[in-house]
Amino acid sequence: MTEPRSADRLPAPDGEPVVRMTGVVRVHGEGTGAVHALRGVSLDVAAGELVAVMGPSGSGKSTLLNLAGGLDRPTEGSVRLEGRELRDLSPEQLAELRRRSAGYVFQDLNLVPSLTVAENVALPRELDGVRTAKARREALAVLKEVGLADLGDRFPDDLSGGQRQRAAIARALVGERRLLLADEPTGALDTRAGDEIIQVLRQRADAGVAVLLVTHEPRYAAWADRVVFLKDGQIADSAAAGTETAR
Amino acid sequence: MSVRHGLLALLRRGPRYGYQLRAEFEASTATTWPLNIGQVYTTLSRLERDGLVSRDEQGDRDEQGRVRYAITPDGRDELDRWFARPVSRADRPRDELVIKLAMAVTTPGVDVAAVIRAQRSATMRGLQELTRALRTLDASTEAAQRLVVDSMIFHAEAEQRWLDHCEAVLARPSEENP
Ligand SMILES: Nc1ncnc2c1ncn2[C@@H]1O[C@H](COP(=O)(O)OP(=O)(O)O)[C@@H](O)[C@H]1O
Ligand SMILES: [Mg+2]
Repeated sequence: MTEPRSADRLPAPDGEPVVRMTGVVRVHGEGTGAVHALRGVSLDVAAGELVAVMGPSGSGKSTLLNLAGGLDRPTEGSVRLEGRELRDLSPEQLAELRRRSAGYVFQDLNLVPSLTVAENVALPRELDGVRTAKARREALAVLKEVGLADLGDRFPDDLSGGQRQRAAIARALVGERRLLLADEPTGALDTRAGDEIIQVLRQRADAGVAVLLVTHEPRYAAWADRVVFLKDGQIADSAAAGTETAR
Repeated sequence: MSVRHGLLALLRRGPRYGYQLRAEFEASTATTWPLNIGQVYTTLSRLERDGLVSRDEQGDRDEQGRVRYAITPDGRDELDRWFARPVSRADRPRDELVIKLAMAVTTPGVDVAAVIRAQRSATMRGLQELTRALRTLDASTEAAQRLVVDSMIFHAEAEQRWLDHCEAVLARPSEENP
């Protein structure tokens, strides 16, 4: 199912989680208009762990997710992705690490409508410089993992909302990405389709991926190993499932 | 409800010993409603007093001399009435959490936000456990058990939403407490 790790991937130092955020502050804008989106957040997401982030609108959930995946840089504090301190990377290195390590799923607008599902999923690999045939094989393998083995040649518009979202997850995972970031991926779906999405995320975590999920639905958050509640840019409290996964 | 009606429903399937009733009651509520055997026999003797069950005299006693119980025609009528009657809010036990939060809001010196936070984490842990329980039920699990767990998930979810709502309402400065 998973191919051997590419030689050019640096393994994370032993015991280091996939994402480690320490004392992260993010201020948007300056002066009187400055918005303190995050005020000192520390959070680890380990391989094989599903962590859910909940909190009212404007509490900093999306900002947290963007920082965790290197889409944004902190004003203060440290973000380490697979053991690399993002602050120390050049923009090119950051872009490279981000592409190789992290995949994103948003509420919608995830897929290119003019490409087939398999082409959409293969796209990030082709951007990585992988040959088309190999990229397609990888895409079909990951589509199978999310339960879409037979739908690779369809176009996104011909899928249900839940299927589209699973295709987006496949695209976010292709090429052994070890971190999956999902911002309200069940947002526009009914509960049945939403349940399928959360099950796929859970399975990917159980298969070793680190998953960070933003959701406002308690029923989906409850699938996580840990639930973190954000409030005004700070972690207000958290809940860990069972003692065996509590850390 | 009542354990009474639960036992009548089980006896509707046929005569049963007390220990059987206890096991079946717990199984059909996905062990979320544990009963002790004393409760079962106390309830059975009240049902017998009210003419809703009778000792099944033809039935064999088991080797320990325990007796089987059977539902009577009056018991069947009572059970039919129970199924036909919607549960009213007044029949349900008062929710301690609601009372606690109402008291927390009006009692000086209580940190309501902390009460809400502690409860929210606890409720989420409960929801996580229920979700796990649901995930481990396989396809062959009886629908009754699955529905019981589903119901508890919906309750926990509603409680979680209500706690978020309380937090938001209390964070908003009101006219009396600017
Ligand atoms: N690019 C930005 N520029 C200015 N303010 C922003 C920007 N992104 C987010 N914010 C502000 O930061 C706060 C947190 O936003 P966000 O992380 O999107 O919250 P959430 O996802 O929990 O709704 C909000 O007050 C939001 O308005
Ligand atoms: Mg957001």
